[in-house]
Amino acid sequence: MSTPSDAARAFEDPAVLRVRLADYLSGQTGAPVAVESLVKFPAGFSWITYGVRLAGFPQAQNVILRIGPPYGLFAPYSAMPEFESLSALQTSSVPIPKAFLASDDASILGAPFFLCERVEGGTPLPWGAQEGASLEGARRDSIARDFIDALAALHTFDWRRTPLAKWGDGITEENAALHQLEFWQGRFERWTMRPHPMAHRAFAWLRRQPPKASRVAIVHGDYRLGNFLERNDRITAILDWELVHLGDPIEDLGWAFLPQYRGGARLVCGLASEEDFLSRYEARAGEKVDRGALRFYVVFSLLKLALTHMAAARCFEDGLFNDMRMPAMATQIAPVFRQIAKILEHTP
Amino acid sequence: MNNSLPRLIDGMVATLRKEVIPHIEGEFARGQAFGVIYMLNSLKLRASWSNEFLVEQLRALEEASRDLEGLGLDIAGAPVPDARTPEQAPTSAQLEATRDKGNERICALIDWLVAHRGAISAETAAHADATIDRYLNRQLKWELSTSAKPMFVEISSGAERSA
Repeated sequence: MSTPSDAARAFEDPAVLRVRLADYLSGQTGAPVAVESLVKFPAGFSWITYGVRLAGFPQAQNVILRIGPPYGLFAPYSAMPEFESLSALQTSSVPIPKAFLASDDASILGAPFFLCERVEGGTPLPWGAQEGASLEGARRDSIARDFIDALAALHTFDWRRTPLAKWGDGITEENAALHQLEFWQGRFERWTMRPHPMAHRAFAWLRRQPPKASRVAIVHGDYRLGNFLERNDRITAILDWELVHLGDPIEDLGWAFLPQYRGGARLVCGLASEEDFLSRYEARAGEKVDRGALRFYVVFSLLKLALTHMAAARCFEDGLFNDMRMPAMATQIAPVFRQIAKILEHTP
Repeated sequence: MNNSLPRLIDGMVATLRKEVIPHIEGEFARGQAFGVIYMLNSLKLRASWSNEFLVEQLRALEEASRDLEGLGLDIAGAPVPDARTPEQAPTSAQLEATRDKGNERICALIDWLVAHRGAISAETAAHADATIDRYLNRQLKWELSTSAKPMFVEISSGAERSA
């Protein structure tokens, strides 16, 4: 048995975590559940991810445990958006892991967490040239089709018939872009450690021309190479839903189109040319992509990326942890701002 | 410190790369070491011994200089030092604060121009926008020209990137 005092930062001590997780799952299922193994995955800047092998858990033997630590890149966290969206999307054709349980109650594991199915597959990464280069020929084409089709399926999913309907209060086709601008403006003010005129310049440009969305859809928020699992040339699961929200579906395209995720190639996410990507997406989603809106969301995505780098700088500066990837990410604020400046030069 | 800062950094980077990293077990730990190398390379392009460190050395030298100068003709012909500490030597923190204050005003001006665009002539607005854009580009180019070559492949994989 564990004690209540074990809860604080239980997620950082595998021995305590095993006991507390077993206690929690036993309580939830009404029968003894044992944690047979717990392996921490090294990847990720934000949530801590464990592969867990369970005995006595009726829904699966191998599960993924995701924990949002209080010092993470986007802390403070809630497990609910990811859990609720994955739960709602179980009836869709978007490949996702089954969501099992979630809680924001820090007295259980020390931080918000959720459990989901462990899906088989590997992760091609955008910043590993060798991985990007391995996406070629028929394999690349097959993954590209799945990647685009899953995005179109997500954006055409009828969320209003699910519990996600409660997310829709106040979000309309007209204000979806401004809603997100407000959200990221707030994050900018929270994360910035010194004045950044280029961020003000970009926000001003974006506020001058927010597009009207063709529909309000579920937006993944981080849809890119590196955030899906692939096996035998097929996508087995779309991952990392922590930034999921309702908004303009073109927002996801803007993010996927970023040069940072092209793996050194000219292809969107190292998978498909812009023309092929848009053509297939439009056919699957059943509507044209407004190119002006796409340009808006590429600039917005670059700004979001720069702000995320500011979050990394802030995380490191606050001294809560010393992961050297954080200051390394922070060095990329200026290059991303330069990319924004170049686009704005041509579209004042 | 008896070595130059750039040479010290080169030495630290070479030692980490050749003598330390090959013996580290674990992809994540090696990636962290590459992160240290990347940040050292970044420091090399922007850092120098601080003004505060050098000014204190100059103050000591000035004190000795004035004392020895006081001996005057008693040591006529001797190579007496005549060091003086610059009166207006800003610290790096002062320079940083001045830059941030200036950037704060630029931010406020950008926001003001958005709010008052209808109240000023198009020509004036265009002039202000162009000046701000030139300023931003100059700052960004300077930052990029003083940035180390990214090492994200090494940091994420824990392995040297093949040439």
